Amino acid sequence: MRRTAWILLAILLLLGIAPSNASAQVQWSSEGAEDITSIAVSADGSRVAMGSHGSKAVVFDQEGQRLMETTAGNVITAVDLLEDGTLLVASDDRHLYAYGSEGQLLWDSDMKRQVKSVSASTDGSVIIVVMQRNKEVVRVDAATGETAGSYPVDSILKMAKVSANGLWIAAAGADQFVYLLDKDGKLLSRFGAGGQVQSLAVTNDGEVAIGTNARQAELFDKTGTRVQSLATRDNVSSIAFSMQEQILAVSDLSGYFYLFNTDGSKLWESKGSQIGRAVAFSPDGRILYAGQADGSIRPLDVGSVIADAKSQAKLRLIYWIAGALAVGVLVTAWLIYLKKRKRFGVFKAIWRSRWVYAGLLPSFALLFIFMYFPAFSGLFHSLYQWQPGGKTTFIGLDNFERMVRDPYVLKGLGNLMILIVTGLIKAIIPPLIVAELIYHLRSKTLQYGFRTAFTASMVIPGVAGLLIWQNFYDPNMGLFNHFLQLIGLGSWAHGWLGDPNTALWALIFIGFPFVGILQLLVLYAGLLAIPHELTEAARMDGAGLPRIIRSIHLPLLAGQFKFLIIMGLIGIIQDFNGILIVTGGGPMDSTYVPALQMYYAATKFNDLGYASALGVSMFAVILVITILSMRFIRSSED
Amino acid sequence: MLKSFKIRQLAIIVLLALLVFLTLVPILFMILSSLKSNAQILGNFWALPSPARWSNYIDAFHSIWRYVVNTVYYAVSGSLAVILLSALSGYLFAKKSFPGKNVLFLMMLAMMMIPSVLTLIPSYVLYKNMGLTNTPWAIIISSAAGGQVFGTFLCRTYMAGLPGELFEAARMDGASEARVFAQIVLPLSLPILATLFIMQSVGVYNDYIWPLLTIQDSSLQVISVGLTIFTKQFGITDMGPQFAAYAISSIPLLLIFTFGMKYYIQGMTQGALKL
Repeated sequence: MRRTAWILLAILLLLGIAPSNASAQVQWSSEGAEDITSIAVSADGSRVAMGSHGSKAVVFDQEGQRLMETTAGNVITAVDLLEDGTLLVASDDRHLYAYGSEGQLLWDSDMKRQVKSVSASTDGSVIIVVMQRNKEVVRVDAATGETAGSYPVDSILKMAKVSANGLWIAAAGADQFVYLLDKDGKLLSRFGAGGQVQSLAVTNDGEVAIGTNARQAELFDKTGTRVQSLATRDNVSSIAFSMQEQILAVSDLSGYFYLFNTDGSKLWESKGSQIGRAVAFSPDGRILYAGQADGSIRPLDVGSVIADAKSQAKLRLIYWIAGALAVGVLVTAWLIYLKKRKRFGVFKAIWRSRWVYAGLLPSFALLFIFMYFPAFSGLFHSLYQWQPGGKTTFIGLDNFERMVRDPYVLKGLGNLMILIVTGLIKAIIPPLIVAELIYHLRSKTLQYGFRTAFTASMVIPGVAGLLIWQNFYDPNMGLFNHFLQLIGLGSWAHGWLGDPNTALWALIFIGFPFVGILQLLVLYAGLLAIPHELTEAARMDGAGLPRIIRSIHLPLLAGQFKFLIIMGLIGIIQDFNGILIVTGGGPMDSTYVPALQMYYAATKFNDLGYASALGVSMFAVILVITILSMRFIRSSED
Repeated sequence: MLKSFKIRQLAIIVLLALLVFLTLVPILFMILSSLKSNAQILGNFWALPSPARWSNYIDAFHSIWRYVVNTVYYAVSGSLAVILLSALSGYLFAKKSFPGKNVLFLMMLAMMMIPSVLTLIPSYVLYKNMGLTNTPWAIIISSAAGGQVFGTFLCRTYMAGLPGELFEAARMDGASEARVFAQIVLPLSLPILATLFIMQSVGVYNDYIWPLLTIQDSSLQVISVGLTIFTKQFGITDMGPQFAAYAISSIPLLLIFTFGMKYYIQGMTQGALKL
């Protein structure tokens, strides 16, 4: 009985965490094909056609056997397959070719201009062509190759695609405008893309996906409203829809392949060995054909990825139900237990205080959702490669291992040590000196005046203060270099923040003379709390001022010092505001700290799992410091 | 003897005055430079601005007023939420007894120990998934959720010191719980609530990283981030208007500190010493 439960649990866990990779099968290639420009898959999935830079068009069957191969006079810009097996080939040799399923030439149409794109509905009833430096979408007759009409638009077109059912035509201009036409060429909408359009796809419902050179894939509905913007790592090279599943495949120029859900979540991402130039789905959506820069096609089995994304949602539901059931059972068991023991009094008390709980509810709702949840989420996801909305893969301690090897983290730790030492000195010594000075003033008015004057520095917003200091260090207009010139040390003038040797020290010097308000007030209050009799008695015994400070003030301020040291440590470890604003970690890596690397990992590199691991590590260090110092303080007070 | 005492006092005053001057150098420099043109700064660095270019302030105001207004709005809304939540929870924890009180209070206290580095990135993802990024809620909710922890703690300590007989008497006279809270507890706790409000608003006003992460829309941006981007946005190359912008951004803080310095210092030292 017990063992079965364990096995079930293990299976559940395995289902939850087993990483599902899209498994790459063998590559299909053709000699001398060079860069692939276009891929098409027939409606029944039995044929895959590709066109290449090397003027070759090749048709494979689904096992990767070459069925036919043909050569054009120049680069093949696009290919498409009809359901009867007809292959359409567009080429820069200004011709459009059609080959039958057996490889025989059906027709060869001279278009007079370089043909930049061809696209056909599944049944071949709508075939459209775009030619170089032309503002028209040209219809071609499937049987003869004759021009059957043309639909003019306002831009010079780069490419056009027709939906599988032939109802929608999407055409992209060189000026970043995209046109959506119906099959008779009536303009339905016109919209601007966020960058140069590199690739285009249109669904049977008239949704248009475009890939741009602005590192984005964008999804528009048929009215031309942008529905989604999907970020990629590099310029998009190709984009394709899977019809049934409403999934979008994208490849970029850095060799990454992505699958996105049309609701905008990333399902999967993987780096190929080659740059992907063209992508197309098999009709069942299980295989993604990736045409690569070396002229080969790599079929990626992505069925598992998509199925996984779906089953994960189901699984999550099952988890929730199981969890709810378990809680229900536990609560009932507990209730029965309490009833047996006749301890229902607690519930009466709870019921009586129901308004108290209602009053606490808003506070605790916020506390749990916005404080506890992120904290646990961070702890949890530090063990994952975290892609919110998409695939999150368990990778154990890899993030932490990587952290130990990350040169920026190591450099950052060294810098942090320097910052801690100097930061603690800054937090204790100048405020202590000022507190003593104010304390020894006779006039109450002056005491109050100076205290206020020091706190006046708080009126500048922190960021403004940092920007002013940044300006002080400016090599040409800065206060520092001007001051050095003024006192005859002009030769020392320097690009303080631009030199890796001085940047960190320039950062440390920000805030000179370091009279922190909090520190000053805490120490001053501490001094005021020292009983007068003590100092008077010491003075009677002939103790001088230094002696009084050393033997009475410092020991009695120990609690304040400890407090300031702990708060200082915690603050310094976490703080990267100043560095982010003033130097951004540079020049080179000279002012990195671990917290900054965490911020960059999350924002620049979208590496959220790694960022969480860094956060968790800093949390651990802070926790240890806090616990140690709490102990330390208690033992000294006892 | 008397003479040496006087000299010593004088030395202290001179030393303190020097330190105050050095501490305030950035402010003085900001004010002087905000009235200069680039040519004046480059030509004669140490000279006073002549003629003073007040138009710098107009340029600066045009570029950053939006950020200041946004931030004040976020700060006030967030702080009001914090006050309400903390006053209510603080009162309940201070004056009521109910099952689980200690556990709940500890759960709240525990969050004071969690550093922001741990929660920064996961919070960002959470807000993003909830569709709260790039809306005012990202700032307001986060300040309310974070501020109420410390606020509840402060209010509980303060309200525990309020005389219980007062509440009893009111209840005897037939006042409802809500009325006791609104008409007795809140007015009596005004000092601590003012402290909370001021600390919280200053916190929101100075916050940089969180808005930088969560707000992309320039028309919703806060002043801290705004100060780092407005020069690019409005194509300002002169230093004068930049310093003028820093000066303008200080005005809300100046107002807060003029009227509530006492409360701020109270809050800061109280929070500090209790931890």
